[in-house]
Amino acid sequence: MQSVFVHMDRCIGCRQCEFACAVEHSASRDPVKAVYEQPLPHARIRVEAGLFQNTSFPNRCRHCDPAPCQLACPTGAVLRDAELGLVQMRTSKCISCAMCAMVCPFDAVTFHPAANGRVVATKCDGCVDRLRRDEPPACVEACKAGALVYGELNELIRSGSPPMPVGVTAWHGWGQVATRVAKGATNGNASSR
Amino acid sequence: MATHRPADLRQLTVNADARAMIQRSRDEGIETVWDRLAAQEPQCGYCSLGTSCRNCSMGPCRIDPFGDGPQKGVCGAGADLIVARNLGRTIAAGSSAHSDHGRDVLEVFALTAEGKTTGYEIRDAGKLAALAAELGVGTAGRTTEEIARGVADVLMEDFGSRRQQLSFTARVPAKRMEVWRKLGIVPRGIDRENVEMLHRTHMGVDSDYVNLLLHALRTGLADGWGGSMIATELSDVMFGTPHPTMSQVNLGVLKAECVNIALHGHNPLLSDVIVKAAADPELVALAKAKGAKGINLVGLCCTGNELQMRKGIPMAGNHLMQELVMVTGALDAMVVDYQCIMPSIVDVAKCFHTVIISTSDKAKLPGATHVSFDPHRGLEIGKEIVRKGIDAYGNRNPSRVRIPVQPVSMMAGFSVEAIVGALGGTPAPLVDAIKSGAIRGAVGVVGCNNPKLPQDLGHIQLTQRLIENDILVVVTGCAAVANGKAGHMVPEGARLAGKGLRAVCESLGIPPVLHMGSCVDNTRILTLAAALANFLGVDIPALPLAGAAPEWYSEKAVAIGAYVVASGIYTVLGVAPAIFGSKNVTSLLADGLDGVVGARFSIEPDPEKAAILIRRHIEGKRKALGLPFVEPATIELPVTTQAAE
Repeated sequence: MQSVFVHMDRCIGCRQCEFACAVEHSASRDPVKAVYEQPLPHARIRVEAGLFQNTSFPNRCRHCDPAPCQLACPTGAVLRDAELGLVQMRTSKCISCAMCAMVCPFDAVTFHPAANGRVVATKCDGCVDRLRRDEPPACVEACKAGALVYGELNELIRSGSPPMPVGVTAWHGWGQVATRVAKGATNGNASSR
Repeated sequence: MATHRPADLRQLTVNADARAMIQRSRDEGIETVWDRLAAQEPQCGYCSLGTSCRNCSMGPCRIDPFGDGPQKGVCGAGADLIVARNLGRTIAAGSSAHSDHGRDVLEVFALTAEGKTTGYEIRDAGKLAALAAELGVGTAGRTTEEIARGVADVLMEDFGSRRQQLSFTARVPAKRMEVWRKLGIVPRGIDRENVEMLHRTHMGVDSDYVNLLLHALRTGLADGWGGSMIATELSDVMFGTPHPTMSQVNLGVLKAECVNIALHGHNPLLSDVIVKAAADPELVALAKAKGAKGINLVGLCCTGNELQMRKGIPMAGNHLMQELVMVTGALDAMVVDYQCIMPSIVDVAKCFHTVIISTSDKAKLPGATHVSFDPHRGLEIGKEIVRKGIDAYGNRNPSRVRIPVQPVSMMAGFSVEAIVGALGGTPAPLVDAIKSGAIRGAVGVVGCNNPKLPQDLGHIQLTQRLIENDILVVVTGCAAVANGKAGHMVPEGARLAGKGLRAVCESLGIPPVLHMGSCVDNTRILTLAAALANFLGVDIPALPLAGAAPEWYSEKAVAIGAYVVASGIYTVLGVAPAIFGSKNVTSLLADGLDGVVGARFSIEPDPEKAAILIRRHIEGKRKALGLPFVEPATIELPVTTQAAE
């Protein structure tokens, strides 16, 4: 199955994925016009700070199978796209009971006003529209560091982490040193993540 | 999101010469600006909206425009302040670029007055005398050199901290000066305003976005009525005030049988002596000995405009042509000074025999040959550079030469002096034509190219719509090259204009689109607008004028926009500046500013719609002046095909 795979060690915390995601889920799909829309579009991916300084992780829906949110939803608002296998939210059926958010192991569901004014459960839709046009998800396209890649999941896992570019290695090394300093460690290595 | 590697090259440029060369670069795997833009997309959204800040090391910070993430930087600055600070720094950078160009011209002018240069002279003593009178420098019983020294001394002081207002603000209508005084934005010192902007945008200085933006306008004014104006006026004195001259434009100006040398950048100091050097009989003989028929100089960007205006040197192209001119395989040397020189030109040159010669110690390029410009030995250096071009010709592979088109004719050289001269020595005939409605108004279409838009489409289409509606268009910079290529800039181009404008152009034998020079020469437009306002005894915003920068890209263009609007001229931008992350800053610039300086910005990428906005504005001004007008609201916007509107 094709999926978005996250190389944690490559994330530099630039938050471009968030921005691209919000624009992709706007009415205009234009980065300048999107910030003037009502309701404001919202990102469904969230770059969270890592455990140590200058580490970060782009958190998004894993499209679990079976999906706890789908099992928990009392109104059948959560369903799975038969063709692409992606978990979708059907806004019209959502009653904002937040069951899905409570059972989600990854904190991937948030609540925002929809076009009809009602506050509804919002989460990553896997960019189904883009995939049908043979385009990668917006977050993957925006990621210039290679932290988000799209492809056949097993192949991506088998190939392992791609070699790190010089710049990112330097950043990572700097982050480790900074962590050691922050912890006041005078010898030994920083604890691994 | 738009892709910039489309199969149809018409989406990249309207020009046949550019399309042929982009196709060749694709076929041969030569990377160009459009490939690099595609690789950058999608570009940083925070930066596009102006809500990222890296002014200090508590950051970098960004404001989430969608409201979920942080709304303040570490220091506490919100979107309004961050956007205003970034815009202020952009204007300071653009203003610095123009003004440092002006300083370089002034320094060579001063050295020439002292007789310490070779290859330079005071070519327009009449203009020098007029400037001296304007600046209060005595002329009675003094030699030209003595007068020049006096003028140089006065203008040197304009760069520092001693003045309460810049010398050339004496040209500004009294009512305009009063507006600036009330707002506290009279430009005082050219360098001073730039430095003060850097100070104010340091963390913990000016945290009031309105106060900061007012200083941004003053920073722009120090460019328009200071640094740029000095560059224009002194270039005229040293290299001659432009007069209408016929020339040619597009890649067809390259000659397969000649040594082709392109002069690229902005400052006419070096290129002027290269023109002299290229006429040197010894060098011409050397070129012939190598098998060439002669030495063919062509211009690129604003150095090209400076040369075309004064000497009729043909123009190879504007900003987005600088890589493609080498893809012809016919360019032997590209001599660059500074500004808008893409670092990539050395990479494209490696695919051919072209040598890149950098000449300014301020602007070196790894991979180029550097010949340090020194005005004390100007002519010798010019000859050394031309010799390098002739040597490179020997390495040319004739089987790789593809010159894709035939050149187009264009007329250049409309300085204010030339325009007033063509009108018979007074602006009265132009004013009468505007009063009668034969000419509705005048618009400056200026600015760069930007690969995000189809090259030259905005410049050409907007200009076409304006002249069709009897609006006189003056152009500078890349916009001038675009309109030249489109055939708008020959006297026969009057056929493309509306009846009223056509009759005026035909009676004077001028094109409906007048070439006023390089991008520092936008000050000629300021001088003309001020002269018209003074002639009529009104302030500049009362006049039926507008400005447009349909394809701008550079920091200099933002500085120009700031001084044009602060001088009271409504301006339409074709590319969104990085301000939309702050609703307050955006609404101030696009609306509120009208009540402050009598002019504002609009942003409209569609040239058809931009033309309507400008026509409405001009008819509105005519109505206010009590001239014959068309009710602005009746001029309808074209219907868009996009349902998303």
